[in-house]
Amino acid sequence: MQPTSSMKEEFLKKWQMGLQIYRPLIDNTSVSERRKAIKLSADVAMASLRKGTTCWSRALIQKTATEDNFLVRQMLSGIKAETLINKKLPKVMCHRKIVRRSKMILRRRQSRSAIEEVAAKARKLVKKKTQGLRNVVPGGEFMSNDVLLIQETLDYIVSLQTQVNVMRSIVDAAEAGSERTAYYLGKLKFAIEDG
Amino acid sequence: MDLSGRFGARSGDGVPFREAAALESLHIGGGEEFRQMVPPENAGGFTALLELPPTQAVELLHSSSSSASQATTLHSLGTLSFPSNPLLMERASRFSVIATDNQQNGNVSGETTTTSSVPSNEHIKTEPAETETCDQAAVEKQSNRCGKRKELDKKVKSSTKKKNKSSEENEKLPYVHVRARRGQATDSHSLAERARREKINARMKLLQELVPGCDKIQGTALVLDEIINHVQSLQRQVEMLSMRLASVNPRIDFNLDTILASENGSLMDGSFNGATMQLAWPLQVMETEQSYHHRQLQQPPSQQWPFDGLNQPVWGREENQDHGNDHNNLMVGSTSLHPNQVKMEL
Repeated sequence: MQPTSSMKEEFLKKWQMGLQIYRPLIDNTSVSERRKAIKLSADVAMASLRKGTTCWSRALIQKTATEDNFLVRQMLSGIKAETLINKKLPKVMCHRKIVRRSKMILRRRQSRSAIEEVAAKARKLVKKKTQGLRNVVPGGEFMSNDVLLIQETLDYIVSLQTQVNVMRSIVDAAEAGSERTAYYLGKLKFAIEDG
Repeated sequence: MDLSGRFGARSGDGVPFREAAALESLHIGGGEEFRQMVPPENAGGFTALLELPPTQAVELLHSSSSSASQATTLHSLGTLSFPSNPLLMERASRFSVIATDNQQNGNVSGETTTTSSVPSNEHIKTEPAETETCDQAAVEKQSNRCGKRKELDKKVKSSTKKKNKSSEENEKLPYVHVRARRGQATDSHSLAERARREKINARMKLLQELVPGCDKIQGTALVLDEIINHVQSLQRQVEMLSMRLASVNPRIDFNLDTILASENGSLMDGSFNGATMQLAWPLQVMETEQSYHHRQLQQPPSQQWPFDGLNQPVWGREENQDHGNDHNNLMVGSTSLHPNQVKMEL
């Protein structure tokens, strides 16, 4: 499914709310600080759309809470913020190498046919890819279930697309504004210098 | 956990009473019950069920009314002609009682459309708009299959391990049943593996539809590759956009939003308000869906400046929007000279 207009609106409102929190600090003139502020508020806005129902949104909020706790608390109203921030992270899955090694020890006696080997290789490849997917999706390491992982990925992709769409249109508008401004400023300057 | 359906880790902790608890939790109305299907401990619940010898498992299924309600959800929705099997009749009757107080009427009706529209027994096409509803429906169907499969496996010993529709049920239902090979009927591990694989394949199909360019690809690993690339590219785009926004005139990105926030309420009806252009360099921000795409796809932003020539409806619609005309066009003027003033202009 594609991002719906209501999702975009909600995201925009929440993002605005987050940016307003930064407004008093408008004298953080460094570009990188502003960028960070924008990105963080956008991320929290995106995650808060899901209201804590999905694993990735909780993980994302917790991740941004480590960077800017204040922002997260302000953006998420009330009780939800407390539960989301203070909730302990689920147990990380056991280290894959250890699991793999123990499996290999157990498997050593098995006889392998050619077909089995191919299948085993395919399975290994798929495992690698799912691990890669876990690294990309926030909170992926905590999803022990493959089914859950794919569901979360679906939701995450849709939310990312919403975020990108909204941000892109804002950026286009802002850049158009600044272009125009620069143009008129130039014209004005020229006119003044002439006259 | 791997996609190839490693079942071993789960089977150890499956317990009958957990299964019953899981099933009961499903009976609770509302979206929560399907969410509870998703967490690992409940997903393990069904596989635990499969671990039991078939007879015990069927008894469990008989006894839990919630599973009956689940299983019959699809039945009563579809144009099912029930067999004379007393078990299924019982379930149908139970469902007709349960369905009325089932809060998930939305999901149920969503499933109606999906089940009736999908003739194949393989995959669930998710029509509902929300992912959550889709997933709930998908999860529910998967759980139904698990329940149904156990019963039918008891009765049938076929020689091929393939997906079949049960002959006892209506052909229209997208049930996937796995008939075990001879001598493997009690191998609940492979059955459970197959169940998990079905779930995963269904969701992978959804992902393939979402990510552009994934339809043509064969093979799970490559599809996963594409998905990872897509997610990474989206994340990178977010970074780039935030960098661009930050490098623009600092006042604009923060004022823009106050402006949007203040004007949002007044324009909610979508009416075009006439206003005069007061300053030479207003900034326009469109909130309509058309604009979101057209700004990127069509005219470069500078061409929006002839203000009287602005006809937003003229801009084509490339997105299918349900609320295409419901949203306000928001035009905001802000200048570098008057950062705090808002100019409304249409």
